[in-house]
Amino acid sequence: MTARIRPMRESDLARILDIEASCFPTPWTRGMFVDELAQDASRYWVVADSPWGLLGYAGLMIVEDVGHVMNMAVRDEARGLGLGTSLLSALVDEAEARGLRRLTLEARPSNAAAIALYRSAGFCEAGLRRGYYADSGEDGLVMWTGDFAAPEAVAAARRMRERSRAALEGVRLKRTVPDGDSTSHGDLLLAIETSCDETAASVLCDGREILSSVVASQVDFHRRFGGVVPEIASRKHVEAIVGVVDEALEVAGVGMSDLTALAVTHGPGLVGALVVGLAYAKGLAAATGLPLVGVNHLEGHLFANVLADETVEPPLVALLVSGGHTSLVHVPAWGEYHTLGSTLDDAAGEAFDKVAKALGLGYPGGPVLSKLAAEGDPGAIRFPRAMLHSNNYDFSLSGLKTAVVTYLASERRAGREVDPRDLAASFQAAVIDVQVAKSVRAAKACGVTTFCLGGGVAANAALREALRVALAEEGVRLSVPPLALCTDNAAMIAAAAHFRLWRGETIGLSADAFPDLGLS
Amino acid sequence: MRLVLALDTATSECAVGLGSWPHEIGAEPLVLGEANVSSHRAALTHAVPMITRLVEDCDHVVRDVRVVVAGRGPGSFTGVRIGIATAKGLAQGLGVPLFGVGTLDAIAERFAGREGLVGVVGDAMRREVYPALFRCEGGRVVRLAPDTVCAPAEVAARWANEVREPLLLAGEGLLKYADVFIAVLGERAEVAPPAMWTPTGASLLGAAWRAGGTAAEGGAGMVLPIYTRLSDAEENEAVSDGRAAGLTGSGVAGPRAEGDSR
Repeated sequence: MTARIRPMRESDLARILDIEASCFPTPWTRGMFVDELAQDASRYWVVADSPWGLLGYAGLMIVEDVGHVMNMAVRDEARGLGLGTSLLSALVDEAEARGLRRLTLEARPSNAAAIALYRSAGFCEAGLRRGYYADSGEDGLVMWTGDFAAPEAVAAARRMRERSRAALEGVRLKRTVPDGDSTSHGDLLLAIETSCDETAASVLCDGREILSSVVASQVDFHRRFGGVVPEIASRKHVEAIVGVVDEALEVAGVGMSDLTALAVTHGPGLVGALVVGLAYAKGLAAATGLPLVGVNHLEGHLFANVLADETVEPPLVALLVSGGHTSLVHVPAWGEYHTLGSTLDDAAGEAFDKVAKALGLGYPGGPVLSKLAAEGDPGAIRFPRAMLHSNNYDFSLSGLKTAVVTYLASERRAGREVDPRDLAASFQAAVIDVQVAKSVRAAKACGVTTFCLGGGVAANAALREALRVALAEEGVRLSVPPLALCTDNAAMIAAAAHFRLWRGETIGLSADAFPDLGLS
Repeated sequence: MRLVLALDTATSECAVGLGSWPHEIGAEPLVLGEANVSSHRAALTHAVPMITRLVEDCDHVVRDVRVVVAGRGPGSFTGVRIGIATAKGLAQGLGVPLFGVGTLDAIAERFAGREGLVGVVGDAMRREVYPALFRCEGGRVVRLAPDTVCAPAEVAARWANEVREPLLLAGEGLLKYADVFIAVLGERAEVAPPAMWTPTGASLLGAAWRAGGTAAEGGAGMVLPIYTRLSDAEENEAVSDGRAAGLTGSGVAGPRAEGDSR
């Protein structure tokens, strides 16, 4: 994963104020930043953004043909990665683009690291401002660049751009490399997922490279009961877990001692199933001494999008649809989630399976139903669009399911043949209409240009296509991971864990499972 | 010697023990320490911290452990799974063998110093118990019947019929059904004090050693819980099929056999 430089927005300010407070004895206030952003023409503020949130920022005040570097900070854990160069490089590029001649700034003489950075960016010491820093009474060291019109300045700016690009691409988790391990480049995470009926393990390098993703599906054991039987799921996890993890390590070609950390889904899901993965992961953590990250399964579905396409970045809105979940989530930044709405009764995948069951299509019938629907007329039967015009982002699917079952019964009673293809298509259209309408409304309301789809129902081609078309009309890009990353898997859990670990969020050995865990 | 770590979470008690098993033939194993804590529905949060504390208290580190022992139940399904899954993680993470021991055997082990019959009655919920009969003799504890699940009155009647000598009763099933056993067995029955109704770290280590811990060890993947019951879904299915619910091997669900029409 890489970081990037982009213009600062007002929605960044909460995070910026955190960084500001951790970096400076007299931090800027929110009001000061808001004032800066309001003066569009004479200011240029940028942030270094990454999948792990904002890493730093810098700003320029423009007075005639001189740019004054107002403020610059890099988050503590991200120092030493070269992001300061990236931020300065962006300011220099902007200065050149606007035809400025020189940049200037003040530095604390005691801040040797900052002064070295400014020197490497072409700044030279020009004098002292006495008592410039009010908090300490320290003098301000005044530094200036040379004239940008000079050919050597152009070459220096180009060199800086190259260093900046390397720094941004190289952003990754800072970790302590184990003794003697000089060959490993990034962090290696082993993730375990047992929240429902798939026992899964994955080894992920650096938060993006899937070295292995093993999924032992139990669907054959649940099929004849028409749905997931929690007790059977729990039993199967205990049987499968050791073999699945062994295979994940073997395919990845790594051993326990190569790992940086362990991760496990700790909610939401079936409590008895979650408990197996969590107990096992804690045993592994106690044995290996590795840190353990607890992952929200829903955050995993979101991060599946990043695994599939690393350019996916917040702000975005996501629709998470599976057999267990149906929710619309606004993601202003990774780690910051606002659930806009969710299903009040059945999850979308559950409704598909139940209707398929009513049609005698077996379990899990969702995929079969979608295949049938592709051949039918979606307008053949007018099923209700529950909550289509409600003023919120919630869904309700059990009424639709009942309408389908009732329709089937009444037609059969009347001796009329029902074309299962038309019924499937009409049912699917009713589901999709509401999902798409609310998704588009949410994307517009949140002002995002990226929309992510996640969860097993994302495999539904009609839903994907309808969403893509409707979102494109609003200028919103749709990201859909490949099927193997949509359905439950541990690679997505590892990807989310990579982000959490980077933020230093681990769980202890007394950690509990959270079957009703939400995204927040 | 090998450092052995034992864990059982099948009852309301979380039991952990650390022992040392000798290599020399004829030498006796040692119990280095144990911790037994009432953990009703809290085994997941208690087990691993108890293990790390115990190992530290015994001046060892978890990495020194060479064998892991886990109680296989029968008991609370979720409880048993927490213990087994934790033990699997430990054994796989350490790259050492995992050894399974019956939870009722570990309870009977607590009476190894006595002579005579011990009837262990685990709580199976749903008005049933997990019964098992053991004979303690000359320091040995011999199991007389395999694990099963049964109505308390039925077990009491069977034991009253089979047993012609005093019977010492233990196990958490007695919390609800001691009266049933006393009514049927009369003066033959003696109820052990409740503190003796659950396995301990030491009794797990003892039962595992006695069961041949020096030889019969499996990989972390091989040890599974003893359930004695199928899942409700499978039990109900068997009833509606008009056949008795039966367990295969470890009591693990499986797909229907070929030709089994449905």
